[in-house]
Amino acid sequence: MAQQPTTPGGPLNVIGKRGPNIDAVERVTGRAKYTGDIDIPGMLVARVLRSPHAHARIASIDTSKAEAFRGVRAVITYKDAPKVMIWGNRQYALNNPVRFKGEAVAALAAVDAETAEKALKLIAVQYEPLPFVLDPEEALKPGAPQLFEDGNLEGMPRILNRGNIEQGLKESDKVIERMYHCPTMWSGGMEPRACVAQWEGDKLTLWASTQSPFRVHGSLAAMFGVPDGNVRIIASYVGGGFGTKSAPHTDESLAALLARKARLPVKLQYSREEEILDSNTRFETRIYVRVGVKKDMTINALELKAYINQGAYHTRLGGLGNQATHTYKTVNVRTEQYRVHTNIPNTGPTRGVGDPQEDFAVESALDEIAIEMGWDPMEFKLKNIKRNGDPIARGPAGVEDGRLITQVLDRCIELGAARIDWTRRNAAAGGQPGPKARGIGIALTERGGGGGVGGASVKVNLDGSAMVFYSSTDIGTGSRTTLAMIAAEVLSIPLSMFRTTAGDTEVAPYDGGSQGNRTLQGTGRAVQAAARDALDQILAAAGPMLDNTAPADLEMRDSVIRVKADPSKSVKLADVMQRRGRSAVGLGNTTAPQTGMNVERTTAAHFAEVEVDRETGKVRLLRYIAAHDLGRPINVTVVENQIEGGSIQGLALTQGEEMRFDKRTGGCLTGSFLDLKPPTMMDFDPRLIEAIIVPNEGVTGPYGAKGLGENPCHPGMAAVANAIYNAIGVRLREVPFSRGAVLAGLNAQRPAGSRTA
Amino acid sequence: MSDEERERADKASVSRRAFLKGGAAATGALTAALIPGTAEAQLPDATEPDTRHSTVEMTVNGRLYRADVPNSTTLAQFLREDLKLTGTKLGCDRMQCGACTVVVNGRNVYSCTTLALQATGAEVLTIEGLAKDDALHPIQQAFIEHSGFQCGFCTSGQIMTTKVMLDRMPNPTEDQARLALAGNLCRCSAYKKILESVMAASRMMRA
Repeated sequence: MAQQPTTPGGPLNVIGKRGPNIDAVERVTGRAKYTGDIDIPGMLVARVLRSPHAHARIASIDTSKAEAFRGVRAVITYKDAPKVMIWGNRQYALNNPVRFKGEAVAALAAVDAETAEKALKLIAVQYEPLPFVLDPEEALKPGAPQLFEDGNLEGMPRILNRGNIEQGLKESDKVIERMYHCPTMWSGGMEPRACVAQWEGDKLTLWASTQSPFRVHGSLAAMFGVPDGNVRIIASYVGGGFGTKSAPHTDESLAALLARKARLPVKLQYSREEEILDSNTRFETRIYVRVGVKKDMTINALELKAYINQGAYHTRLGGLGNQATHTYKTVNVRTEQYRVHTNIPNTGPTRGVGDPQEDFAVESALDEIAIEMGWDPMEFKLKNIKRNGDPIARGPAGVEDGRLITQVLDRCIELGAARIDWTRRNAAAGGQPGPKARGIGIALTERGGGGGVGGASVKVNLDGSAMVFYSSTDIGTGSRTTLAMIAAEVLSIPLSMFRTTAGDTEVAPYDGGSQGNRTLQGTGRAVQAAARDALDQILAAAGPMLDNTAPADLEMRDSVIRVKADPSKSVKLADVMQRRGRSAVGLGNTTAPQTGMNVERTTAAHFAEVEVDRETGKVRLLRYIAAHDLGRPINVTVVENQIEGGSIQGLALTQGEEMRFDKRTGGCLTGSFLDLKPPTMMDFDPRLIEAIIVPNEGVTGPYGAKGLGENPCHPGMAAVANAIYNAIGVRLREVPFSRGAVLAGLNAQRPAGSRTA
Repeated sequence: MSDEERERADKASVSRRAFLKGGAAATGALTAALIPGTAEAQLPDATEPDTRHSTVEMTVNGRLYRADVPNSTTLAQFLREDLKLTGTKLGCDRMQCGACTVVVNGRNVYSCTTLALQATGAEVLTIEGLAKDDALHPIQQAFIEHSGFQCGFCTSGQIMTTKVMLDRMPNPTEDQARLALAGNLCRCSAYKKILESVMAASRMMRA
């Protein structure tokens, strides 16, 4: 459904195909260098001393013994930390007071790890413990321990209002009120945080495991008061991020401070325990929902009041998404968000920012009210979703000042329902007799993507090979591949001739970073523009070799430039480049892609089928269908990989990954993979996950592509909760869905006399 | 068991005890580093780590290496820091994720919790040794063709585990392959493409 042509001329040669990743050889041979693999002669090793208290003032700190210890080159405490916040987020590199158990108190750099670990024990700290609070609602009550002078609430409550919620609820035929809870959940990648800092005079080079090199770049330039051009961030290969590496982080500041003090390069690599403890993980949400419907199946009112546990500081990013406001044609909508500081570690946006948590609340509540009204939840959702031409907000405000285009959520629902055979769903929840019962559930989701400033350059070399330079990163999303494919399509240079340099703020232009569905659309449009720029230069240089034909009358196909009117007249790209004698460098800089009234969103419908064992409470996944609108796929293999992996990540939230904190000490009780139980190949049989790419073409992204990465992770919790309800009639409103919770729900169904204690 | 093998086994068992001691000390040090006050109050003083050095000698990717290293050096440290073979990754350092998997005498082991000393005399294969000259191993080719990875940080481990499984079981069922790879986490959860890659590698190696 092309709204306007995005591809001048002929069919696509590269885009939309399957194919291996452009950096696959590096990744499967061990040649890809991740930050922890960086080795600089003379490099020191850093270790961090962490707070034993959830909240404490540092009364005194004596580092003299550590400094005198043989092999120690630098020790830093809060006194050494510049009074510039890491990223405008209330947090200095080192803080006094410390606000969570495990927060950095001091750091040192030594000649090797053993020396550094021994020397850490020589730092003498006297703490004055302060009262602490772990729960976001408790933290807002009068008399609660205060983390900051201006209180525990971060900024103003975010309130979005459309229509009149109270009147909408009053005029509804049925209203339900529910609360849905998602705990703090660990969402880090396989690669623990790592960075290497090196100063040459007042120029800082920092290798970092980050999704957003230019955010780190800006953060450190400000912290050290050096010109922007004196900082270089390199994040060539990043071992997963999922949002936890989207904001500047303490470790980067600590490494840079130590390296400057020691006048030697410093590597700071977190252990897994440290990574879990201090990694901006997925925030806890407690979402109170009120939803009202009319008898004609319309959603008349939808209200969300969310308490978000930011932890000690914050990342400046986060909060809920737009599940409540942008998916359905609801006239009366209100969302209230309270971002609350507590004495748990920092949290932040992770895969879907707050969307999975919000999706769990909205998609569960709508399932509940539909069932209470005797409606088919899928029919109910199909009736209420926004469709093309419907009003929708362009920005974060509530006013619906735009209109929706290129939406195929209805097709996602229809194709997904057909694949899982929705007609097999139990007409009455829990109706199947016997110890094992099966059920099917649906959850929708939506998101924007591609916003922000994008920049990239494309260089065609003298031999006709080509490079894509961009400062965002490939955290596993395949952006090196898809961005190179965009350039290959524009230039018609074979993909095999391309190489990419990712994540380098010195060689590539400013770019917004790899988060929030944005790289493919935001950076992708910049790559497209850069490739066109390079192509113009090449055609201009080819003209004199082809009877002075004007560039507009030339075209390049498979690295051969021909006269359009007479294709027998041709010249090879390499010959043009040799004659030109200098490389062709194209630049692309783009701003927010959505202009005018049109609003493009990325949507999906997920369907889960589960089997619940009534005797053990075990929930087994039988099938999972993930039908996505992502515009035109750039690389089908990459898209499938994102949908399949993201779906499993969403499902993982239903079974584990909860971070638990000791109420008496505030300490994290889940500091290892054994506690957090990230799924292995045995937990969810990957063959059960089926991706459906719903045919579509957008208008704002390169070649009609829309961003995708976040969405597959959103609907898992709600789809599974709705399927469990369909199987056994038990409604789970808290994740993870433990066996105990399932059994407790079943027990509550029994007549009072036959319940087990 | 030849004398030489017995001697090696004895050495390994001695060093294993030393390692366990060293390991406990290392854990104590880490806990202390994380939570100094409570650690000192609740935990006994950590035993000093084994500071003795030993000469380790092993064949890694077909080359013989000999080095004097502290007894507490893990195989992962030896490979990454002494031999600069950084293709082997450390995801947890607690044998919980499998990113550090290498092949020792035909067995897949977590190199984060194997001592370099234990591998003395062994044939070690890492991701860097899988390709012969410029020719990629069929498992690597399969992982490329089927995109059996996303961020790639766990990939070396996934491939080395696959290597051992297919050497022993050239024609596994999908369920056997899943079970064999259950000790290798992938946080990107690219499991579907990993499984496809493994099955494709099995077909390629049998062809």
